[in-house]
Amino acid sequence: MRSPLVLVVDDDPDILEAICEILDSESYRVARARNGAEALERVDAERPDVILLDLMMPVMDGVAFAKALRERPADRDVPILVISADGNPQRAASVNARGYLAKPFDIDVLLSHVADICRPAEPRAGA
Amino acid sequence: MADDTGGAEERGPDDAERRSAFLGFVAHEVRNPLSTALWSAELLGRIGAEERGGARGEKLVAMCLRSIARLRQLVEDHFLCERLDAGGIPPRAEPVSAREAAAGAIERRPPDVGEVALEVSPDLFLGADRPLLARALDALVAAAGRDGTAVRIAAEAAGDTVRLAVSGKAPEEGALEDPVKGTPSDPTGRALALPLARRIAAALGGALSAADGRYVLTLPRAKAGGALPRGAAHP
Repeated sequence: MRSPLVLVVDDDPDILEAICEILDSESYRVARARNGAEALERVDAERPDVILLDLMMPVMDGVAFAKALRERPADRDVPILVISADGNPQRAASVNARGYLAKPFDIDVLLSHVADICRPAEPRAGA
Repeated sequence: MADDTGGAEERGPDDAERRSAFLGFVAHEVRNPLSTALWSAELLGRIGAEERGGARGEKLVAMCLRSIARLRQLVEDHFLCERLDAGGIPPRAEPVSAREAAAGAIERRPPDVGEVALEVSPDLFLGADRPLLARALDALVAAAGRDGTAVRIAAEAAGDTVRLAVSGKAPEEGALEDPVKGTPSDPTGRALALPLARRIAAALGGALSAADGRYVLTLPRAKAGGALPRGAAHP
C-alpha cells in the first residue's frame, strides 16, 4: 500500500524543507507549495491525503486557500492541519481545520497529528 | 514616514497599537527560523551516526546553521531597534570617509548581492558613528542588491550634508516603515534591516528616504579630522 501523501503549504522555504524532512523520515510522501494558489494546483495534480497549511502567505493566504478548497466538491473533505507562527489557535476554526500547531511545535506532536488523520477509519460495528 | 526616533516622550494609543503590531510581526518572524533550527537539530539527533555524516546530515546541518544565522540577524536588528527607540545608544560621531564606509559595506555584502559600483569621492566625509553607519549601509546594500541585482553607491555634498544614494533593486512601497503582523516574511532574516537603518539615520542627525528607485541616506557633513557641523550627533 502506498504511504499517505502530505501536502505542505508554507511561504518560508526553510520551513517547507524542514517539515518535508520530518515527514520523509517517517516515510510519508510529500508535496510542497509556497502559497495557496500553488497549493490548489498541487491538490489537482496530486490528490493529497492531508494538507499542512500555513495561514500568512503572499499571493493567496491559507484562509483563502481553504475557502477555495471547501468550494470544490471533490476536495472539500481533504483534512487540513494548520501550522502557524501567529500564535492564535482560533484561526484554525476559520478554515475548518482538524487541528492547529503553533510553530515551533514538537516533531512528535506533528507526526502524531498526521498519523491520526491518515489512519483509516474504524469499521462501524456490524458493518 | 513614521518617526520612531523619540523614545522618551509619551506615547498615545496609536503608538501602542503600532508597537503591538510591530512586535507581533517580530514574534512571527522569529518563530520560523527558530522552528527550523530546532527541528533540524532534533532530526540530526535522531538519525544514525552514519547518516549524520552523509548527505542528509550535511543538509540538516546547513539548514540548522542557516536558520540560526537568520535568527541572529533578526534578534540583533530587533534589539538595536529597541535600544535606539529608547534612546539607549548615544551615537559617537566622528569624521568618517564616505568612500571608506561604502567600501566596507561592499566588502561585507551578503553573497546574494550582485556587483557593486562605487562612485564616491575620497574627499567626502560624514559626521557619523562608525558602527551604526556600517549597520545602516549594510542594510541598504543588502536590500538594493537582492537576488543578485547590481548595486551602485554614489555620494554628493549638499550644503552641510552628504547624500549617499544606493540604487539597485527598487525599494518596495513602505520598505522603510516598521513591518506589522501580516507583512510577508523575509527568508533572509533581514525583515528589520531597513527600519533599523531608518532609525540609525535619525539617531545620527540625518534621514533615510526611498524614492525614485533608490535609497538615499542623508547625514551631516564633516571635514577630514575636523569639527562636525552643527546638528551632527555627539555623545
